[in-house]
Amino acid sequence: MGHKHHKISRRGFLGQLSCAAVGYTTFFSTLTNLKMLNAAAGFNSAVQNSGDYKALVCILTSGGLDSFNMLVPRGNTEYAQYAAARTNMALAQNQLLPITAATPDGRQYGLHPSMTRSKTLFDQGKMAFVSNVGSLVQPLTRQQFYDGNIPVPLGLFSHSDQVQHWQTGVPHARQAVGWGGKIADMLVAANDNENISMSMSLSGTNLFQTGNNSVEFALRPLTGAVGVDGRNDNWVVPQMKMAALNGMMNNTYSDIYKKTYTHTIKQSMLGFEELQPILDNPPVWTVPFVNGRPGSWNPTLNMSFEMIARTIAGREQLGMNRQIFFVDFGGWDHHDELLNNQATMLTELDNALHQFNAAMEQLGIADCVTTFNISEFSRTLASNGNGTDHAWGANTFIMGGAVNGQDIYGTYPQLNINNSNPLMLYNGVLLPSMSADEYFAEIALWFGVPPSELATLFPNIGYFYDYTSGNNPVGFLNL
Amino acid sequence: MRHSLLFISIFIVNVTQAQLYNDYIGAGHNSGITVTASNSVGSSTPEKTLDASGMDHKTFEASRFLAQTTFGANIDVIEDFRDNWEYERWIDSQFVKRLDLITPEVDDIWAEILSESDDPDNEFGPTALQFNYAWWTQNIGNEDLLRQRIAYALSQILVISYNSDLSNWAESISGYYDVLLEHSFGNYRDLLMEVTLHPSMGYYLSHLNNPKTNIAANVNPDQNYAREIMQLFTIGLVQLEQNGTPVTDANGNQIPTYNNEDVAELAKVFTGLMGGGLEEWVDWKSNVDFGDDIGMISKVLPMVMYQPQHETVSKTFLGYTIPAGQPGMTDIQQAVDFLFNHPNTAPFVSYRLIQRLVKSNPSPDYVGRVAAAFANNGQGVRGDMKAVIKAILLDIEARSAESMADPTNGKLREPMLRFTHVANAMPLFASRNRYWNNGYDFYEATRQHVMYSPSVFNFYLPDFRPVGDIATQNLVAPEFKLHNTSSSITYINRVNGWVGGVWFDQEQQQLNEWGSLFWSWHGSEQYGEDYVRLVFSELEPIAEDSENVINELDRIFTHGQLSDETRQLMRTSLNGTYWTWGNPIEWRSHRVRSALYIILNSPDYNIFK
Repeated sequence: MGHKHHKISRRGFLGQLSCAAVGYTTFFSTLTNLKMLNAAAGFNSAVQNSGDYKALVCILTSGGLDSFNMLVPRGNTEYAQYAAARTNMALAQNQLLPITAATPDGRQYGLHPSMTRSKTLFDQGKMAFVSNVGSLVQPLTRQQFYDGNIPVPLGLFSHSDQVQHWQTGVPHARQAVGWGGKIADMLVAANDNENISMSMSLSGTNLFQTGNNSVEFALRPLTGAVGVDGRNDNWVVPQMKMAALNGMMNNTYSDIYKKTYTHTIKQSMLGFEELQPILDNPPVWTVPFVNGRPGSWNPTLNMSFEMIARTIAGREQLGMNRQIFFVDFGGWDHHDELLNNQATMLTELDNALHQFNAAMEQLGIADCVTTFNISEFSRTLASNGNGTDHAWGANTFIMGGAVNGQDIYGTYPQLNINNSNPLMLYNGVLLPSMSADEYFAEIALWFGVPPSELATLFPNIGYFYDYTSGNNPVGFLNL
Repeated sequence: MRHSLLFISIFIVNVTQAQLYNDYIGAGHNSGITVTASNSVGSSTPEKTLDASGMDHKTFEASRFLAQTTFGANIDVIEDFRDNWEYERWIDSQFVKRLDLITPEVDDIWAEILSESDDPDNEFGPTALQFNYAWWTQNIGNEDLLRQRIAYALSQILVISYNSDLSNWAESISGYYDVLLEHSFGNYRDLLMEVTLHPSMGYYLSHLNNPKTNIAANVNPDQNYAREIMQLFTIGLVQLEQNGTPVTDANGNQIPTYNNEDVAELAKVFTGLMGGGLEEWVDWKSNVDFGDDIGMISKVLPMVMYQPQHETVSKTFLGYTIPAGQPGMTDIQQAVDFLFNHPNTAPFVSYRLIQRLVKSNPSPDYVGRVAAAFANNGQGVRGDMKAVIKAILLDIEARSAESMADPTNGKLREPMLRFTHVANAMPLFASRNRYWNNGYDFYEATRQHVMYSPSVFNFYLPDFRPVGDIATQNLVAPEFKLHNTSSSITYINRVNGWVGGVWFDQEQQQLNEWGSLFWSWHGSEQYGEDYVRLVFSELEPIAEDSENVINELDRIFTHGQLSDETRQLMRTSLNGTYWTWGNPIEWRSHRVRSALYIILNSPDYNIFK
């Protein structure tokens, strides 16, 4: 459904990008055989090449970002349609930050006035948007939706369900395993470090990074990993306490709850020893991570991004070739006070993206780090008085040196709220015109998942994308 | 003196059937149980394992029951229960305890703060901070133990949170918490109605000042409350059997309870509500208007109906029709009644309450028994919380040893409950003779504190599954959402701060302590520091023998379930906490403190079974 289907180029396949020493197909077969072929030095060297690094940064704007106020039609005709739909929730036309997509669709677009840094990133080709993407089980038309014979995601319009769909890639079932976690399960052999998970979370436990075997390593935004107080104290009292604590964590338990309880603590203790010395000695950032919201009780988003940047800076010392990061930046459920709150929060987001991108460029690794956005849904185009409600299709952003930026992928929908709009379900709820699976598949392929494994991650992908085609699923990444 | 080690192993060969109340390790069941011990020292003999003076099964039972029904009990409360109460009689006695609301406590605390302030006119509050002070004040050494625990459980089902602008006004949530306290032993229908009309819920789920449809302006009723009252407070997303398992169609698929049209229709019901009164400082007008925001309106008085903004068309949802032209409040009452009487509501609410009080994975039969009590209290009344509470706590699955031994039995203790447990189980020293806990330090460490959920979805969802054996076995463990490589360690470090340490100053002949359990943000130079510290002096005299300390803490905290492996680690650690110089009070105190540190961080404690 995306309007750009790049043929995967020979150039991309051979991995000429600085961060990919080998094409993804070769890379994966190397990974799967890594343990078996451990003795064969030639194979190992490909994976362990220090230049072969890739990271994904998933930013969940939980609550449901009103993304039709993030990426907005700007030309007179399309703006009039937008303004009529959004009434008192519409942004002023002359305040929109103009952007020009590389692939024109006859309309002009603008960004939310808070996103000045993002506009620059977009203009520089480092950022792209994907339009009207949403969780789908199978392709369907509005009439098919009303008829109810084609399966649709479970619990449509419910936060708890739809936020899970974006993290599991399995919208037809309630599943406890996320697609980031499944990728970490698949690619676990890529990293030399067995003590620290490929998945690192700045927001604690989350579904996206929950695999069948892998689980996130949680970091705190300001301080990083957490060590047990008294661990290095050689006075007898803390030593005796540590001995008992370590003993309890190292004992084996048949009880499933006790096993889970102790395992997490043990992993934390192991990871801390390796990680914290690195996190405590970050590079001096040329663009500093300045707190974007003074006086806030909670650390601002850029503090999370700084900790990610510190971790990436230490990738070689940590023996990491593949990393998946997760940040939950919540509070977008703007049933009320949409305009004010969204402006404040987009400023914080914009600031963090800018600072993080600068840090990656400083490390010379921007081509190897892809930041992408997920949110459970966008919000109704129609107002509920002073806010908007849960909808379906959404606009997302993606940032990084591997992004084919300065473009809008997918098809930006018509926004008129009436039956002549084939995607309009209810009062400004848009039927997605691209499956989230396609969006995810592009990211997964870039990260090194082979096309043949896509259906393991996204069981419905076959309805939307032929993984034998050799085409990009959407086209926003340089594969 | 050399400390002798005693190992006791108990083998239950044949537990033929579970007997309610009595079937517990050591509960006088000699048949089929053999006891072996490595040696017999002092008062610890294997024979005593089988009577009340050895394993003290009745103490353990009491301790465990009180962990399900209170915020933690000290040894006096446990022994009083053991000696004087049966389960049901105790519950009945709790039902008639005086109702102590929290809002008056907040007001008293605020008055005290103003009286100590240099500049009372410029103090801003009371805020969420004073709610925390008041909540802890109410929940240490109180007698309305069960009501407080139930209200807290309800606060995790009918969620609003200070993690919002409500934190500016203590009463926004203290008033709401009073509703929970008041109806903990009442009827779920009344509770649901009061929750629906509470201005803080109206703010949190945005049905306060929710206007009717305006076609010209393309404005539709806000759907937030309509959705969440169904999804989270009553019927849930899928149709349920009365035992809580999902109904499935011929293809094995679950059946949704509602669709988006149902939500849009129900949203019309919740239109027209506005504040029930104005704040005192709003002196430029006398009547509340539709649209007056949460800052201006009373945070305590129920919302009222402003009929001109109520949508009066007929509304049909879930096959039920509310007729056109009714007063708005009648519409709301009918909608709430309909949801309350929906068959799903009984198993839906029952399952969630069982998870908060007893275990993560109740059997369908257990849920079914509680749901039946919800559906009918025996006198034809639906939603009677007293009947539901008894059904949960007196069920064989909550009480019997056989259920306890079930490998799926158990749950991770909530961080908040660990905190309240130690605060109630141990003697306390309060520097200002008050229990003003700021709460934020603990929240920062564990991401949990009462009324501080990140969203209406609570701190965790009921079906959360951590990676590993729990997920593999298709079981759930909600509280593990809060247990990650960061929070698990910050909790351990909090415990380290709680136990602190001592140093005996020989010259001054004075014992100096460090560490504290919690503190307020209202200590001052003039009135002194304001903190609360655990008191170890009652245990120090028995600390000569590590075994004494281990046994005592096992009674209080692990309900007699401390494993041999953990005991052995504690023994080694405590026996090694010993030196021959200085005042022996030092190592004795450290021994007790370390014992508490180890037990509070042990899997034996943190997994409640």
